[in-house]
Amino acid sequence: MPPTLKVFWYAPGYIILYLLLVVALGFFINRILYLLSLVRQGNKDDRFDQLGKRTGLFLSRVAAQWCTLRSFSPKDLSGIGHFVLFWTFVLFFVNYAYLFIWGAWHEQTSLMELSDSFSRGFSAVLEILALLTIGAIIWALARRYIARPKRLDRGLEPAFILLLVFLLMASHFVSEALRISLGASGGPVSSILTSVFAGMNRGAQQVSYYAVWWLHIVVFLSFLVYIPYSKHLHILVSPFTTYFKTLRPMGVIEPIDIEKAETLGVGQFQEFSWKHLLDLYACAKCGWCQVSCPAYLSGKSLTPKGVIQDLGDYLLGRGGVKANSDLSLSTDVVSEEKNWACTTCGACQQICPVSIEHVNKFIELRRNLVMVKNRVPEAAQRALGTLIKRGDPWTGALHLRTDWIEGLELKKLSENSNVDILFWVGCTGAMDERNMKSTIALAKLMKQAGVNFGILAAEESCCGDPARRLGQELIFQAQALRNIETLNRYHVKKIVASCPHCYNTLSHEYPQFGGNFEVMHHTELIARLIDSGRLKQATRRDKRVTYHDPCYLARYNDIWQAPRKALSATLGAKLIELERRKRETFCCGGGGGHMWLEEEPDKRVNMLRIEEVIKAKADIVATACPYCLQMLEDAIKRKDLTQSIAAMDIAELVQIQQEKTA
Amino acid sequence: MNIIVCVKQVPNPEIPASKFRIDSAANRVLPPEGVAPVINPFDEQAVEAALRIKDKHASKITVITMGSGTAGDVVKHALGMGADEGVILGDKAFEGADSFSTAYVLTKAIQKLGAYDLILCGRQAADWDRGLVGSIMAETLGIPVLTLARKIEVAERALSVERVLIGGYEEIEITPPALITVSNELGQPRLPSGFGLIAALRKKVPIWSAADLGVDLSLVGAAGARGSLLKLFIPVHQRKCEIIGGENAPADLAVKLSAAGLI
Repeated sequence: MPPTLKVFWYAPGYIILYLLLVVALGFFINRILYLLSLVRQGNKDDRFDQLGKRTGLFLSRVAAQWCTLRSFSPKDLSGIGHFVLFWTFVLFFVNYAYLFIWGAWHEQTSLMELSDSFSRGFSAVLEILALLTIGAIIWALARRYIARPKRLDRGLEPAFILLLVFLLMASHFVSEALRISLGASGGPVSSILTSVFAGMNRGAQQVSYYAVWWLHIVVFLSFLVYIPYSKHLHILVSPFTTYFKTLRPMGVIEPIDIEKAETLGVGQFQEFSWKHLLDLYACAKCGWCQVSCPAYLSGKSLTPKGVIQDLGDYLLGRGGVKANSDLSLSTDVVSEEKNWACTTCGACQQICPVSIEHVNKFIELRRNLVMVKNRVPEAAQRALGTLIKRGDPWTGALHLRTDWIEGLELKKLSENSNVDILFWVGCTGAMDERNMKSTIALAKLMKQAGVNFGILAAEESCCGDPARRLGQELIFQAQALRNIETLNRYHVKKIVASCPHCYNTLSHEYPQFGGNFEVMHHTELIARLIDSGRLKQATRRDKRVTYHDPCYLARYNDIWQAPRKALSATLGAKLIELERRKRETFCCGGGGGHMWLEEEPDKRVNMLRIEEVIKAKADIVATACPYCLQMLEDAIKRKDLTQSIAAMDIAELVQIQQEKTA
Repeated sequence: MNIIVCVKQVPNPEIPASKFRIDSAANRVLPPEGVAPVINPFDEQAVEAALRIKDKHASKITVITMGSGTAGDVVKHALGMGADEGVILGDKAFEGADSFSTAYVLTKAIQKLGAYDLILCGRQAADWDRGLVGSIMAETLGIPVLTLARKIEVAERALSVERVLIGGYEEIEITPPALITVSNELGQPRLPSGFGLIAALRKKVPIWSAADLGVDLSLVGAAGARGSLLKLFIPVHQRKCEIIGGENAPADLAVKLSAAGLI
């Protein structure tokens, strides 16, 4: 007789089962409602568009487990373990659903007991997965507590959860084996296990079966109650955070409506959007973000995981402080130091298996720090001050925006606006001594290839990216409006930008203010000119060249093929690749306003990056971003390697080759 | 407290000196194209000094500037930092002013504004560096003046001011209404805050003309200037280098130096 039909004391098993279920669900639902009530206090955020794309995301990331599998490497196999656990959970869930909906008051309580071919197949798959899960648990415990990888915490919670899952699997196998011993049929693994209980007499088998079956149910229901109180909340929440993931290009920042804004940025949790609050429940502390974060790896106090945890703990009152206290998120919950350590490189966001949007949270906190609390690090304050007054962030620059043009005979739009494309130079390209060289190289290249281009010269003003990434949205908007007005006045349609930060801002953020332009990066233009034969294929064989992908180009905008194409057309030998490259590139340390923030000498991000270049034994590290160029060159100087490694922009490399072959 | 801050727009002092040109016919400085003029840094510190008083004591800060065209931007900048009101004194007649005619127009505007406790100016303007307007205004208004303040504290009935000296400072009390000029030792002025910038954008800044102020036209602008600029030029620094060699170098050197009157 199945345990659900047997009468224990005075009640049949299924009554006890449903009583237990009601109690467990009571706790479960109560907690879920509380969690939802907090999320509902968040701001509006429309994430209900593009149903098809979102469903696709759900299927690939959740169902096919691309969330963790994509981080698979021979060094870290956890993606496979997660895949096994995920599908074991899904199959168990189906089995429980059968039990509670139908099996509880029938002879066959679970799918394991049915003899149709679907159920037989189902039980076989479930049992094999469950066995693999036990293996995965042992391996996970060993890894976490013995091998101790940098991204994982220790402590009791992970061990407790793994123990619960182990108990769930073990009690399943034992109860199934006992049931089979009593004369039924069942799954393949349990069937083998029956031999263990062969020596028991029938009565003992019967009693043990009931006991272990109920143990399994109690473990399952405890797990159900425990989930919403633990990091395993991600089981319930991450499918939603994945489905509602932002579909805009990475790192695009939501504009503040100045006319209506009552607050600027986020100081209290209600000022986050509901998606940002939901993110805080989704974190499973896997730590992938942490080991991808340039700030963490260079020894700063920031870890993206830590920040998401701190925010989540505060929201849920875990640290003993209730979320409605007077604490400010931007100073008390997340320290200012951590806030300013983020370079907005986006590595955390990209690798996050549960689609948490870290970078935009940092920006919201910075907005509150800068625009409400007026707390800006001194160096950044100088840059912003110059930006307000002069239209560029380079306080103390020795050059004017137009100095580099001298002798080049370029078309200024103010004199002749009959051009096909506008060359957007950017402040750093125009005013920084080193980057002026690559700007000149690019201008020469375009002239050589017969591109009919013009420049704004003195009329160009900072695109506003540094202000926006430093949290000063209003200065950004002022710059955006001013530039859009200038660009529209000259009826500019096409723009080529040499700075990935300008590129990103002009192409993705100006449309927020009515500025719609077709923007391309200079490496894309060079690749096209080579394709169309307007630039010669010229090869050099003497140097070993590697390429550093700028975050705002490769990760933010998926542009990593064009630079390689432009480079390889000038290289005889194959391009040497760095360990972290393309979309998985590693920050130079200059993004997110960090060109204007002080960095402690022993905690520099660019020093980490240059190590990889040294490891690749390259003579030249090419890049395609003025910040990256400056940071790499700085690192080379600090390492005293100026004799052996040179940092160069792709435009410079191509231009030198063109001149050599001309 | 009722505080009035006088501010001025100047060419950006960060422009490298080599980029300036001189229009010698008109005796005028031509800043390079494309670099916007800014609020005089010392005046920005005067605004900061007023705001530091306002941080501790309920105050109203009114910012006035004399100038045309983009001159109003400096008032917006001060409003963004946290000042309450702004006035622009704009009239063709005010052009070509020197320290005296500027001070005259400013005092007229201050009298029109009415009661005040404190007038703040920067120690000098970063363009001509004369540093006279504040003192002339105090003289005209008949109120005490203190220059080169690095700290202003509101005491019981007076203002306690730290005044910069070479290698130190002195502490002086001054009774309002008074005029104080502020020095750069005061420290970094704050950036306009987010809401400050929004408020500044929305604020209407009135422009007062010569007629609004009821000024004597013979005392304003170029007509009221008491000095005149004779010649404006960029001094040419020349270095000559002569290498004295040979066996008799020391003796030859001595003869040359002696001939040049250097020894």
